[in-house]
Amino acid sequence: MLSMKNISKVYQSELVETHALREFNLQVSEGEFVVVTGPSGSGKTTFLNVAGLLEGFSQGEYLLDGVDVSSVSDNESARIRNEKIGFIFQGFNLIPDLNLAENIEVPLRYRGFDSKERKRRVEQALEQVGLASRLKHLPPQLSGGQQQRVAIARALAGEPRFLLADEPTGNLDSLMARQVMELLENINQAGTTIIMVTHDPELARRAQRNVQIVDGQVCDFTSYQKSRSTTSTTAEPA
Amino acid sequence: MRNIKPIISSLLRSKSGPVLLLTQIVLSVAIVANASFIISERLALIDRPSGIAEAQVLSFRVYNFDPAMDLRKQNQQDQLILRDLPGVIAATSTNMVPLSGSGWGDRYVDGPDPETAKSLPGFSFYMGNEHMLNTFGVKLVEGRNFYPEEIKMGPAAKSQTALITKSIAEAHWGDESPLGKVVYQQDIAITIVGVIERLQGAWVDSSNFEYSVIQAVDFGGAMSSTTYLVRAKPQDIAQLKLDIPKALHLENPNRVIDEFYTVAEHRGHSYSNHELMAALLSVMIVLLLLITSLGLTGMVMFNIQRRTKQIGTRRALGARKADIVWYFLTENYVICAAGAVIGVVAASQLGQQLMNHYSLPQLAWQYPAVTVLGLFVVTTLAVILPARRAADIPPSLATRSV
Amino acid sequence: MFFYYLDMGWRSIRKTPVLSALMVLAISIGIGITITSLNIYQVMAFNPAAERSDQLHAVQLWSQGPDTWDDYSTIITYQDAMHLRTGAIPRAQAAMFRTGQAIQSDNPDVLPELRSVRVTDSGFFSLFSVPFLHGGAWTEVVDQQPAYEIVIGKAVSQKYFGKVNSVGEVLYLNRKPYQVVGVIDDWNPSPKYYDPTNGSFNDAESLFVPFSLAPVEEFAVWGNTNGWQFEPMVTYGDRLVSEKSWVLFWADLADEQAREDYRAWIQSYIEQQQEMGRFTDTAKADVQLADVAKWLEVNKVLRKDNKILVALSALFLCVCLVNILGLLLTKFLKRAPEVGVRRAIGASRRQIFAQHMVEVTLIGLLGGALGLLWAWGLLHVLTERFHMDDALTRLDATLWFITPSIAMGAALLAGLYPAWVICRTQPSVYLKSQ
Ligand SMILES: Nc1ncnc2c1ncn2[C@@H]1O[C@H](COP(=O)(O)OP(=O)(O)O)[C@@H](O)[C@H]1O
Ligand SMILES: [Mg+2]
Repeated sequence: MLSMKNISKVYQSELVETHALREFNLQVSEGEFVVVTGPSGSGKTTFLNVAGLLEGFSQGEYLLDGVDVSSVSDNESARIRNEKIGFIFQGFNLIPDLNLAENIEVPLRYRGFDSKERKRRVEQALEQVGLASRLKHLPPQLSGGQQQRVAIARALAGEPRFLLADEPTGNLDSLMARQVMELLENINQAGTTIIMVTHDPELARRAQRNVQIVDGQVCDFTSYQKSRSTTSTTAEPA
Repeated sequence: MRNIKPIISSLLRSKSGPVLLLTQIVLSVAIVANASFIISERLALIDRPSGIAEAQVLSFRVYNFDPAMDLRKQNQQDQLILRDLPGVIAATSTNMVPLSGSGWGDRYVDGPDPETAKSLPGFSFYMGNEHMLNTFGVKLVEGRNFYPEEIKMGPAAKSQTALITKSIAEAHWGDESPLGKVVYQQDIAITIVGVIERLQGAWVDSSNFEYSVIQAVDFGGAMSSTTYLVRAKPQDIAQLKLDIPKALHLENPNRVIDEFYTVAEHRGHSYSNHELMAALLSVMIVLLLLITSLGLTGMVMFNIQRRTKQIGTRRALGARKADIVWYFLTENYVICAAGAVIGVVAASQLGQQLMNHYSLPQLAWQYPAVTVLGLFVVTTLAVILPARRAADIPPSLATRSV
Repeated sequence: MFFYYLDMGWRSIRKTPVLSALMVLAISIGIGITITSLNIYQVMAFNPAAERSDQLHAVQLWSQGPDTWDDYSTIITYQDAMHLRTGAIPRAQAAMFRTGQAIQSDNPDVLPELRSVRVTDSGFFSLFSVPFLHGGAWTEVVDQQPAYEIVIGKAVSQKYFGKVNSVGEVLYLNRKPYQVVGVIDDWNPSPKYYDPTNGSFNDAESLFVPFSLAPVEEFAVWGNTNGWQFEPMVTYGDRLVSEKSWVLFWADLADEQAREDYRAWIQSYIEQQQEMGRFTDTAKADVQLADVAKWLEVNKVLRKDNKILVALSALFLCVCLVNILGLLLTKFLKRAPEVGVRRAIGASRRQIFAQHMVEVTLIGLLGGALGLLWAWGLLHVLTERFHMDDALTRLDATLWFITPSIAMGAALLAGLYPAWVICRTQPSVYLKSQ
């Protein structure tokens, strides 16, 4: 599904070269919920940007859905983002002078759906995040948690295969964070692959698989995650 | 263009920016439409053909101050001298110079009885001899030129002949030929012997500018100062300006010979006000478009700065670079279209005001239309440059800037 | 505080050079265009008679037959002028027309030349406050009994006699000897209001001879001769007794009383003439006394084109204003976070407002200065390109003061709304989102 081999990403500024990712290897298969953690500045956002085709990379091989995307054009990568990938940002990034429905429509319009299809998907997506009644509200009229749910609805409306989330709960209090996390888990359950960057250890523990990035490289803790989920299932009947 | 609806609602929600742009476009359309209309009016005025070989006709004045001189005889003598000069094609005395801004105006009536006779339109009243037709280079479309023996010494002779322009003939007699018709000034009877295709008068702003008459009178020598017209090839004119005073002074030194101007120069002078107006208004239009597009560029630049993150987000959500450029262009076109509608109304209102206060003709619809079209082109250029910079905003900005 | 604002303004202008340059450019272009058309307008609308404007009156008579001319003619007949010259009510009066004469002196080195000559009465010089350097006008006796006397300009005196004071010298006009009785300083009112009928911005004449000489010397008329009925003019005598109009008449009437008396006196003259079969348009036959302001209007010295230009350029300035308003809004809103901080630190709304208005004024001043340059350049190009009179395109002195005022006023007007918007910034909004 997603396969990165020996990816490295170097930021070149006037004075210094920053190796944000080095020899980065990661495989994510269909339907997984991957939580990415790591210290600040370790390269988490960079990884997400590369994975989501927001940025290119310097070296290595990246197969997305079996397609080599190392040298796709700008327009082609825009199309892939639009059709296959949904983004959720820490700062929500809703467009302030568009109402909720219009915000959710944005990627659908770029995809070229007609108005009927757009309407259907917008309603469905808002339904999914539990904000169906707020169609005409403007983003500033909502709380942070609600805004993030709208952002999730926007990501979902395109029915992406991937959901990439960069600290989606970073700006939220713990209650709201839990709501958002539950929403994401439901979405994952429905079949969407999710990669989420977070600082929150509690959330990290809830995921199937925890990938830790340290200094631009991966430390995979899949096994630990598996054992944890086993314990939790065994614990349940208790 | 598929983004048009959210763009409109976004525009409606943002406050002053679009309103300002709209105001500016409305005013621009109103001004540019009217200014370009006035310009084209003036240029059309200037373009009217005079019927005269303007660059070939040189006018000048001879002022005789020798009390002993027989002015009439001297006039005849001087004309013979002029016609003998190398390069001179034709020469005549005259009472007025076409397009010069000063001349004689008069009127004929079409019968001997002042009670019943009807008046012909007022006209520019040229007095000249059988050489005048050729000197002007005007075209005779009917009838004949004067015979030398018809030429009178003053306008008071009882029976005279005249050439009139086709415009007068048509205005008074319609399709009927004016040849042989007799017109009157008090008890003076004037027979029309020929029709001139076109000959303009002295005052470019007169409503009777196209109506002219040449009466068979040699006016030279009636006063101490006489005006002459000489026709020559344009390349000979400079030399003639030297030769003419020399030759005439040789004949009699007691005179001042000056005011050499070709009819083409008179034209330039007479129309300079109109040219000035056209030029100033053109400058205004160009600057106005410049200002509007600079202002627009500035506003778009600001919008881009303000919406940097939004643009990054859009890119992250799958907008192509072209989508971003189109976004700004569509936004501009929406404002332009609204501005155009209001602007056309404002333009015709302004036109109405100008028409009422300054007796300008009714504004033709083409002018606002072309103005709006031009505005679309200019604003496209003004928007496309900053919009292309906006399209270069990287999508990763969506994750990087919090 | 003001200088602090000034400093802040200047820094802000330098920080956003492109935006600031755009604004200065927009103001300057608007100002340039407005000042250019305003200048031409001002020169044309100028009333050179100043405080004497409502005392000096051109006399216009409705002497035409019925259904001929629709307006009062600006010029009158010789016979009417001769009667008006006998009037006792005006403090000064003069009939006049323009002629041309060949000028010579005893100096054989100076070739004869043809010059415009004003044929008028001795009252002309006091009417129009003509400045004498030496001598004076001919006496009033000469107005009745023709004498070959002449008043000349300084430059003519210098050219023909090599000195300024040529009183007593002899100048030849069409070979007739005239004695110089007065020399005047350079005098060239613009518009040429005493006779605008042949070019309202032409130069004034610098040779003046007595009107009483006209029938003797039969001076040719270098001006308009208007007739409303056909009258062949074979001799000069025909012209003098004809109904043709070709003489201008001016009278100095001190107050309303004098004007009333004068009007009544002319009325009785008209009635008397009507008995002799003249002034046949009985319903309208009357006199019109046009003071200088009215006279300039009657003669259309100020063309309607100029009004259109001023109107359009005022609209043009509006466009520039709106433009600047938008750019200012842009610029100020960009600074909202900084203003939020300032407000949080304790700046009052009034202080924020003042700071931004000072900045706007600065921009206006820069734009005004640049605009004056534009206008100056544009006027020069126009003079070069068109055969325009210099008087029309010289930058009027008052404009050096008016321009910066208009520029600053315009900028302040445009800055009002943006400054108001920015001073209402809530400090919290921007601090929270940081
Ligand atoms: N555009 C950039 N130019 C230069 N260096 C960058 C850029 N973006 C990120 N970096 C650097 O790359 C490293 C990884 O950053 P990032 O992926 O944002 O870390 P995080 O794990 O906190 O999300 C950091 O050292 C950061 O300073
Ligand atoms: Mg990060």
